[in-house]
Amino acid sequence: MTAKDTAKDTATDTVATALPVEVRGLTVRHRRTVALDAVDLGLGTGVHGLLGPNGAGKTSLIRVLATVAAPAEGRVELLGRDVSEHGPRAAVRRRLGYLPQEFGYYPGFTVRDFVSYVAWLKEMPASRVPGAVERAVDRVGLMDRIDTRVKTLSGGMVRRTGIAQAIVNEPELLLLDEPTTGLDPEQRVAFRALLREVGSASTVIVATHLVEDVAAACSQVAVLESGRIAFRGTTAELTALGDGTGEPGDNPAERGYTAAVRAVRSHRAGSATAASAEAAR
Amino acid sequence: MSAWHVDDSLATAYAAGSAPEPGAWSLEKHIESCGACAVLVSTAVRRGAAGPVLAEVREAVLAAAVRPAPPAPLTPPLGPTARVLWAAGPALRGPWLVALLLVAAGAVGLAYGAGFAGARPLLLALAPVLPLAGVAVSYGEHADPMHEIGASTPGGGLRLLLTRTTAVLAVSLPLLTLAGALMPSSVSMAPTASTVPSVFAVPSVTEAASVASVASTRAPGAAAWLLPALALVLATLVLGSYAGCRTAAGAVGGAWALAIAGPLLGASRLDGGVGITAFPTAELSAYLTRLLAGAGAQGGWAAGAVVCAGLLVLRRRSFDRPALGAARHV
Repeated sequence: MTAKDTAKDTATDTVATALPVEVRGLTVRHRRTVALDAVDLGLGTGVHGLLGPNGAGKTSLIRVLATVAAPAEGRVELLGRDVSEHGPRAAVRRRLGYLPQEFGYYPGFTVRDFVSYVAWLKEMPASRVPGAVERAVDRVGLMDRIDTRVKTLSGGMVRRTGIAQAIVNEPELLLLDEPTTGLDPEQRVAFRALLREVGSASTVIVATHLVEDVAAACSQVAVLESGRIAFRGTTAELTALGDGTGEPGDNPAERGYTAAVRAVRSHRAGSATAASAEAAR
Repeated sequence: MSAWHVDDSLATAYAAGSAPEPGAWSLEKHIESCGACAVLVSTAVRRGAAGPVLAEVREAVLAAAVRPAPPAPLTPPLGPTARVLWAAGPALRGPWLVALLLVAAGAVGLAYGAGFAGARPLLLALAPVLPLAGVAVSYGEHADPMHEIGASTPGGGLRLLLTRTTAVLAVSLPLLTLAGALMPSSVSMAPTASTVPSVFAVPSVTEAASVASVASTRAPGAAAWLLPALALVLATLVLGSYAGCRTAAGAVGGAWALAIAGPLLGASRLDGGVGITAFPTAELSAYLTRLLAGAGAQGGWAAGAVVCAGLLVLRRRSFDRPALGAARHV
């Protein structure tokens, strides 16, 4: 699974000259705290997992890539365009799909209304909207609930509605923040299949704290820790990182993840100790 | 979409079922959107082992399809009217709509039920801030539950804000104007109308009451507030491009309240406290007339509206700009 995903990724990576996501020196601040610290990241076609402990900056990165938040510093190029300008940003937004970690909906809206509304916001041609909405709802397995009000749905179904709105415009860049929250195991399996399908032609970035989601659905992984990239590589490489380290974790990928995060922490603690020793001298 | 295309060897391998799975996935996705490659692949498949079977199936399907079946009843595309309503719908938030109806019904009720002469000027004083409240509760990260999703779309900026503002105006302007027009305008025409004192000098309650009946005939027409309301809404949008709609509506509404209440409070203070118990109908009417009615006042409001509209055009990009560092979820 992992091996062939990797093979596919390298095959499609050679296609485009500029990567769909190119980020240089990206810094995001929330008041005094630094959420992302000069992050450099280039992501090609395929499904990318974004792992990291809570507060590591996953949501901050996803929101900048979704053009919802502006970076304090740095350059963000999406689908080959600089999104700091209005024109290119609007063009990128038409080809973007975004599932926020939390989202609301209007009380009277049915699933169809909700997804159609987002299609309208994404400026899809009116004639294409009804078909695209049904296709998107079908892909998340909610066709039998399409005319049900969103507020009567279960948490997992609301999340699938959210996924449907994100994919309604067949996005070339799909950003999902904790998409599997509230999904039961069977739905997760179906969702991962959907991710792989979308990822065959688009760039999909999944922010999650669930290592098993990444291990099952993603070909590439980036681990964030305290606003910096702690690890980048294939899922296989992350798994290999955990081999024989004796790090805690229930499976090799989790051990690899823990190893990556701890390595950064101890490195930083080490340099901090060195710095204080330096100062003491 | 991309520069990648299916080549002959991949198409042949795919037709033979020997293409590696990732290659097959890429190919299947690609030919959904690339006609040339789709033709290439379908030719390769028909040439391959599956060719005779496909031909057979094709014959069978053509034979069965005596008459083409009617297309599946897909939901008809929404008309432009439906789409506008649907975009605007979320603007008309329940509590705001209720408040609006209460004000309109309350004013008419006060005028007829309680015979309160001040109802009409009071409505005119209150009416311009109601659309502002409507704008404040229908757009922005504090008010709109779908703002986070909308902020990542090309249509979530000024276009959405204007659609919702239009919806708010389309409901509130006719309703409040109608309520104003339904109000009784005083019929007791006093011949001494020219002796109406200035806002700041009302000596006694009895005189104030007699003045009230005169002044209420002079209260501005029910439509006099429309232009001021439009100017205030546009000012809110301009200010909202810097500070967000909620803050802007609060500031503009507050400024309006001060502009109305300030002179009246001053008048009642001069009045020795009497004005607090007796509603200063006369002063309010006279003041509103100066503020709203007449060619000069209306011209001023129109000019203000035009200036704000111009500023809004200059600020049109600011609504779809990503928020700097502002995090609703960290």
